[in-house]
Amino acid sequence: MQPDPTLIAKTLAEAGVEASFEEVRALGYVVRIAPESVRAAIGALKDCSRSFDFLVDLFGIDTGEAIDVVYHVRSFGDDAELHVKAEHAYDSVLTSVWDILPAALMAERECAEMFGLKLAGHPNPKHLLLTEGSQPLLRKSIEIRTAEEVRNR
Amino acid sequence: MSDPRDIVKHSGWIAADVPTEPVTLPAVLVEPPCGVKELMTENLVVNMGPQHPSTHGVLRLLLELDGEQIVRGEAVVGYLHRGIEKLAEHRRYNAVGTLMDRGDYVSGIMNELAFALAAEKVGEIEVPRRASWLRVMMSEINRLASHLVWYGTMGLDAGAMGQFLYAVRDRENLLDILEDVSGQRMMFNYVRPGGVVNDITTTAEAKLRTFLKTIDGYMEEHSALLGGNEIFQGRMRGVGIVTKEMAVAFGITGANLRASGLSFDVRRDRPYAAYDEMHFDIPVASEGDCYARYLVRMEEMRQSIRIIRQCLDGMPEGDHMGKIAKVFRPPAGEAYAAVESPRGELGVYLVSDGTDSPYRMRYRPPALYALQLGEAMLPGLLIADAVVSLGSLDFVLGEIDR
Repeated sequence: MQPDPTLIAKTLAEAGVEASFEEVRALGYVVRIAPESVRAAIGALKDCSRSFDFLVDLFGIDTGEAIDVVYHVRSFGDDAELHVKAEHAYDSVLTSVWDILPAALMAERECAEMFGLKLAGHPNPKHLLLTEGSQPLLRKSIEIRTAEEVRNR
Repeated sequence: MSDPRDIVKHSGWIAADVPTEPVTLPAVLVEPPCGVKELMTENLVVNMGPQHPSTHGVLRLLLELDGEQIVRGEAVVGYLHRGIEKLAEHRRYNAVGTLMDRGDYVSGIMNELAFALAAEKVGEIEVPRRASWLRVMMSEINRLASHLVWYGTMGLDAGAMGQFLYAVRDRENLLDILEDVSGQRMMFNYVRPGGVVNDITTTAEAKLRTFLKTIDGYMEEHSALLGGNEIFQGRMRGVGIVTKEMAVAFGITGANLRASGLSFDVRRDRPYAAYDEMHFDIPVASEGDCYARYLVRMEEMRQSIRIIRQCLDGMPEGDHMGKIAKVFRPPAGEAYAAVESPRGELGVYLVSDGTDSPYRMRYRPPALYALQLGEAMLPGLLIADAVVSLGSLDFVLGEIDR
């Protein structure tokens, strides 16, 4: 279940990625990296001896200050799971990792449209669920009711 | 008779006029006229869906065709998008279950269970043992009902019809039981953080026992009817092969992953509810073709029946709902909980900020990842094989679009 933190620290250091580790209650290990080093980190984790080659999920969280993009990866060989978080500024660029983990293809499109990030390096950077031009729905600043609807409730 | 003219045949028809000698066709029909070989062909882009019976929901496929062969394909989704993840941020924890039901509407119990588990994990609540067992039992009843839908429609995709009616007959019995316990046929709202809403009723138990008396024979019948059919096997064997590497690369989980040779089941490898107390086998196949996926799902149905029997016989006494505040406010934190839904690993990543509604709820849709693989599989397939391949991956569009 829990990955070996020393192995992950060593792997990321060898790839030249600056990472900080924390153990979150009820969740497990979380590795925090800069958005620029996402590709290097995901690639290094995939190529390491315990091969985190299975992308369980990719999604965003609007923390109120930025968008935390979470890469949830799993190693079947080690039976371990890891959450890699990269804090992206609003309206910044989400770099695609689809050529490292093809499972990210649709999840990245969804993450980009829902949080208003620009998708770079993706073969099909269109919206997935929302129509083109719609607002980034999952940002906290987007209300589900208009002011008028709230007044008339 | 006032009008002796033929109605069906034309007046010059002579019934005995069947040529006994092989017909020699005129040369012009055997040898194509000069210039035909140099004719250019053009690829055709067609829309399959969103309202196509073989797309299992509102899926639109943009296919570039060379004759009957697919050159390029793109899946266009989003027609069923209801914003479940956003709406969950505006509801109390107890009310999110109704939204989860509407995700993958064929397996509501397991969607609710994933959310309830995540909420319990972040709120650190204990669930009574009886509630855990009821959760397992209802999950397996729901899994059986869901796989029966898949079994019926898989046959429809391959051109068979009868099995659908038999599958629906059994599924109706199961939905009756679920309705008896939860009050609803499909949108159950049965599993809540802390336990389950209702205990199993005596009528539901009686119905379940009656159902279990006949189901083994019916399962044999199902297998013989579809899997034993030579035409069905011909359509399924060697079609839509997914290797283990492909399955891992595309994030495939559940029966699709196990049909490609990787034995990973959330119920065994990340046990939740009372699955660590159950005895069941996890079927694995290595071929990775449509027929392997069919076999794995059929065996899963038998294992579900096995688990339901264990639950019915060994149901522990006790309360079905734990001690939980009416307005549930888990402490701030994050948790990920997954269940094995009929479509694969259904996960919920929950962020709590200490208020009475989730700060962020991420619904990991296993069907989205399956569709992604289906999209990647399309080039090179015949249209008829594409229908079978996508059908065998068993996705539900309600879950993909959320």
